[in-house]
Amino acid sequence: MRPEPEADGEIVRAVLAGDRERYAQLVERYRDRYARYAARMLGSADAAEDAVQDAFVRAFDQLSQCKEPDKFVGWFFLILRNRCFAERRRSRTEASLEAAETVAAKDRTDGGAETAERRRALQLALMALTPDQREVFVLKHVEGLSYGEIAERLSTSIPSLKMRMHRAYDRLREELREHK
Amino acid sequence: MSEHEFHPLVKQLLDGDITLADLPPALRAEGDEALRLLAAVDRSPVQLPAVSRRVMRAVASRPARSVWRVVVKPRELRLRFRPWLLAPALAIAAALLVFLRTPTAAPASLVTVRFVLVAPDAREVSLAGTFNQWDAHATPLIRSGPTGVWTATLTLPAGQHQYAFVVDGVRWVADPGAPAVNDGFGRRNSVLTL
Repeated sequence: MRPEPEADGEIVRAVLAGDRERYAQLVERYRDRYARYAARMLGSADAAEDAVQDAFVRAFDQLSQCKEPDKFVGWFFLILRNRCFAERRRSRTEASLEAAETVAAKDRTDGGAETAERRRALQLALMALTPDQREVFVLKHVEGLSYGEIAERLSTSIPSLKMRMHRAYDRLREELREHK
Repeated sequence: MSEHEFHPLVKQLLDGDITLADLPPALRAEGDEALRLLAAVDRSPVQLPAVSRRVMRAVASRPARSVWRVVVKPRELRLRFRPWLLAPALAIAAALLVFLRTPTAAPASLVTVRFVLVAPDAREVSLAGTFNQWDAHATPLIRSGPTGVWTATLTLPAGQHQYAFVVDGVRWVADPGAPAVNDGFGRRNSVLTL
């Protein structure tokens, strides 16, 4: 029988009590789960790596402010999200282009050139969205969350998410047509 | 509706609320285009094995935590006035931090802090920091009167906090009169020690 994985809250409390090595369990648990979100938000696996790393270090530094240790992952997600949004504010369009190339290049092994080209085009178009629009698209269509789950995670309403998403659809269509 | 906008029914298709067969024939081609867009979504996993080692190396370099403060030192009332210039358009005059003595009813390790920013031309001002996960919308300052004085009063745990003012939702400004650190992402954060 496999042992039950230790709850996030227990690990957080242990780390706060001084057992900082236990923090590695949280990093291992959530590192890759949020890597894809960061990669699609930032358009680059390298940028995602920096963002996820920084978010984990920042979360460690602020761990005593995690008011509900059992909900560590939701709290961590918000830190990573803010990091991704801050990164996008600083980025330049040229960097996005380069970043989308990087993501597409890494995908070429699993779907052939045509799939890679379509993915590249969509990733480029995604980078033309506002961060808010891109995020709702990524959470729904990459991460597979429902509108209800996204609304809960971002503390917002389903109608406002849908409005954001529907604008994203139109913008993506426009971008994809222009770059054909 | 512009030529780039998907028909509302096609948006429902993209949302997964209806299927292609539910669309009227005139919208099938547009529906196909929409589904091709979704087919290009990249859901392949991203793995970052090097992150664990790097994070734990950073964690190991951190000083030991002092999370639980039992003894609370008496605090003095301090007032600092810091003239600074944000931008000519904003003509922001000064930033001011007032540390208030903790009310007797407050828990021992909390300190009430009043943040004051004079920004006559700002449309909105908020505070982002370690205490609100750097959420630029979580802690708006309230404008009091026509003088352009913006204030927010927070009760924060004793310890060190980093923060910045966010003016008009876009301009992140460190307090030039306070100690500041590089946040590692190219921005300067003010440091507040309570």
